[in-house]
Amino acid sequence: MATDTTAAPPVADARIGGTPLPRRPRRRGSWRATSALLATPSIWLIVFFVVPVVLVGLYSVGALTLLKNDDYLSLENWRFFLASDTYLSLFWKSVRMSLGVSITSVLLAYPIAYLLALIAGRRKYTLLLVIIVPFLTSYLLRVLAWRVILGQQGVINTFLHTTGLRDEPISWLFYSQFAIYAVLAYVWVPFVALPIFVSLESLDEHLLEASSDLGASRFRTFWAVTLPLSLPGVIAGFTFVFIPTIGEYITPQLVGGKGGFMFGSAIQSAFTAGLDWQFGSAMAMFLIFAVAVLLAVFGRFLNVRSVA
Amino acid sequence: MTEAGVAISIQGVHKSFGDVRAVDGISLDIAEGEFITLLGPSGCGKTTTMRMVAGFEEPDAGSILLRGADVVGVPPNKREVNMCFQHYALFPHMDVEKNIEYGLKLKKVPKGDRQKIVGEMLEIVGLAGMQARKPGQLSGGQQQRVALARALVNQPAALLLDEPLGALDVKLRKQMQLELKRIQHELNTTFVYVTHDQDEALSMSDRIAVMNQGVIEQLGAPREVYEQPATPFVADFVGVLNAMDVRVDEVAGEDLVMKVNERDRIVVPVGPTGTDAGVGSSLLVAVRPERVNLGAGEAALNGGSRLSGTVRQVVYLGTLTQFYVDTSIGKRLIVHHLSDDRSSTVNEGDEVVLTWARDDAAVLSGS
Amino acid sequence: MNAAVSTGGRRWLWVTFWILTFFLYAPLVILVIFSFNDREFVSFPWEGFTFRWYQTFLDNDEIFKSLRISLLVASVTAVVTAVLAIPASIALVRRRFFAKSLVSGMMLAPLVIPLVVLGISLLILFNTIGIEASPLTVVIGHVVIALPFAILTLVPRLERIPVSLEEASRDLGANWLTTFRQITFPLMAPALFSAFLLSFVISFDEVVVASFVAEDATFPVYLLSQLRLPRQLPQVIAVAVVILVISAIIVIAAEVLRRVSDRRLESLTTVQEEEVAVT
Repeated sequence: MATDTTAAPPVADARIGGTPLPRRPRRRGSWRATSALLATPSIWLIVFFVVPVVLVGLYSVGALTLLKNDDYLSLENWRFFLASDTYLSLFWKSVRMSLGVSITSVLLAYPIAYLLALIAGRRKYTLLLVIIVPFLTSYLLRVLAWRVILGQQGVINTFLHTTGLRDEPISWLFYSQFAIYAVLAYVWVPFVALPIFVSLESLDEHLLEASSDLGASRFRTFWAVTLPLSLPGVIAGFTFVFIPTIGEYITPQLVGGKGGFMFGSAIQSAFTAGLDWQFGSAMAMFLIFAVAVLLAVFGRFLNVRSVA
Repeated sequence: MTEAGVAISIQGVHKSFGDVRAVDGISLDIAEGEFITLLGPSGCGKTTTMRMVAGFEEPDAGSILLRGADVVGVPPNKREVNMCFQHYALFPHMDVEKNIEYGLKLKKVPKGDRQKIVGEMLEIVGLAGMQARKPGQLSGGQQQRVALARALVNQPAALLLDEPLGALDVKLRKQMQLELKRIQHELNTTFVYVTHDQDEALSMSDRIAVMNQGVIEQLGAPREVYEQPATPFVADFVGVLNAMDVRVDEVAGEDLVMKVNERDRIVVPVGPTGTDAGVGSSLLVAVRPERVNLGAGEAALNGGSRLSGTVRQVVYLGTLTQFYVDTSIGKRLIVHHLSDDRSSTVNEGDEVVLTWARDDAAVLSGS
Repeated sequence: MNAAVSTGGRRWLWVTFWILTFFLYAPLVILVIFSFNDREFVSFPWEGFTFRWYQTFLDNDEIFKSLRISLLVASVTAVVTAVLAIPASIALVRRRFFAKSLVSGMMLAPLVIPLVVLGISLLILFNTIGIEASPLTVVIGHVVIALPFAILTLVPRLERIPVSLEEASRDLGANWLTTFRQITFPLMAPALFSAFLLSFVISFDEVVVASFVAEDATFPVYLLSQLRLPRQLPQVIAVAVVILVISAIIVIAAEVLRRVSDRRLESLTTVQEEEVAVT
């Protein structure tokens, strides 16, 4: 057989037209290409995302100072923050608000996503677009619009007044906790609907048919098949609202009235009006730790695919 | 085979992916102008081997020579081989002409020459005049030809084809097989073909390398591989096979004989396989189903084997009819017979006698 | 029988959907209506229909200045984000590498970080290094925010481009750069354009980070400041409405474009079977 390799011919370097062909070393070539690709975006993010967070940490422990009489290298800011009733309860207030908003958003978004993914058929992407457009285009305007609707002289109260249903304007509609929850949920629902939609869409309809074929009612099918399989999307959506909203302060300030001062507001004022960067950093750092913990907990359920 | 005539020489190549040894020591010389097929089940290493020749994977050990020059470490765009991908990989945003001339353009061939060459190649593959079509407008078979043209236009030292006909339906596949053979002859290019379809390999190749778990189990012309399988795997993978455990009862001259009962015996020649067998040895003997004759009570062919049995199942396959027979050695054998008047008289439950000539059996292994 | 929902349930879901959609758009519609209200305060009572808010904003220098700044910032953000997102997406889709989940986590993290944290941390960075607040600093912050969105737009598209196309290109003699230019980039272009538009719109609408690191106000920051001055409000609202409409058109256009080209890519890369064995 022609597989005799004992008499191997002398091996020449591969050439084209006399010049030796370029060779790469056996295993290292692909690493260079990958790092070339990742270099620029990673550097950008490290410099403008990771490093700033480190600096926040440094400020919080006094390694950096802004004003002359700031503490230097002390944990005073941390001690004050952790010991204080007001600031910690402000944090938990913000967490509660965020939790409420996230749960409400998920509950409202799920039926929308369900309808679009499983029922809407050919129109689903168009309708999805209809839902998403407001989210991408106008945060402030939408908050502002609710002022117009919920306010004392707003649409609802005027309507109630002119039709004689009610003389006094409903006070809790605006400048209230209710307003914060309602407006924020309203803002986030489209965004939360997206990952739920994605996970429902990738659901194999045959699974539902199989469940039904085996005798399950629609509700049981939903409970036993659809819901568990769409859970990654739900968790993704929940996480994407919950974590950032803990630091939310603009909407609470605009529609929350006196009760609209949140943890994010405290951080913001520490860095602008209050000029206490070290204390503000301690608060921000605390929030960052909370975010990191939450990401570690929820992150296990997330991957790139469940979001795109 | 002279050195000048070797297009590709694969020498002692190994490749692992993590713990998996995809290619475990392969050596193969491919001659210029040859149509050679790497045949094997999925996971046997045939595609990996091909990709190493193309340059998309690098071997962990060993060398690959293209026309005498070692190309390990040389990137694929600098190697003189071209590949035909499994799903054609035609550039969807370019028309047929731009697809085919892609390699020529990179070699800076002037426009006028390119147009001429592309036109000629389209004629050769049977798609004359289709320069302006887009891949999306072509059928599977047509896309296949464009992919072929695109590769061949660069006059590579060898063309590597990775299961190119897998996506086509049966009739079209058979037609394309003939087309590929014709084109290969016309251009006299070396074709290295990868497939798991043994019919394809048998019908198209000058030589077949049957691969299993990273090694070549047999290398030879189609007839040789089919009729004289070197290992049990080859015998089983290429074609249907009857394999029987045979105990040598008697050595009669050039024959080893197993006496099954008064009238039944299995005879195997002590042949070039050189079995050092004697009385008492165990052998694995194979015979092709179409070599087994179906009869009713005749005496054995001179010096051949004979077994009696009962027909358990009859399967009508159009051209052939398959008979599954439980025989006196306790083994169910498959018999292929042309579907004629003769075969239609045999039914399930019938008692039959199977015979085959002495040289139609092969010894696969022994102890 | 549909296993997902009953006929009654279906109707109920559609009703819910349209109600929710109504509530999604109603506030905006109301706002648009009120922008025609001939009253200096954005609220009831209705005092007559007028275009004057839309006309007077044209005289307002401050509004225009903030619009220009936003336009500049958003454009630069979109370009930089797109440029950074391309290699990042290619690496994530085509390459295996060590600590991939860590790197992709870092790339996508800005999606979840509270914007206030992003804002103050950048403020600290610029202060420490000594960079003055300017449109550039806003761009930097916006790129961080938009990058995950851009990557999430490009990755699915790249996944749909078969690797064999790039391999074929290299097999035919092209190096990495040529392959990218001739094959990957043209096929990626629609998603890239979508990512560009998406980044633009995100940047244009962003208020938190901009309020921390901007010297001159971007439009949303300006709008926010005007909320405390109700008298100026109708003009600003008028502008905001115009911008809303334009942004909506941009987003819709980007999405439609992406979808159409996705369908084209699917049909071109799917192998078609021949029905008859004839060329």
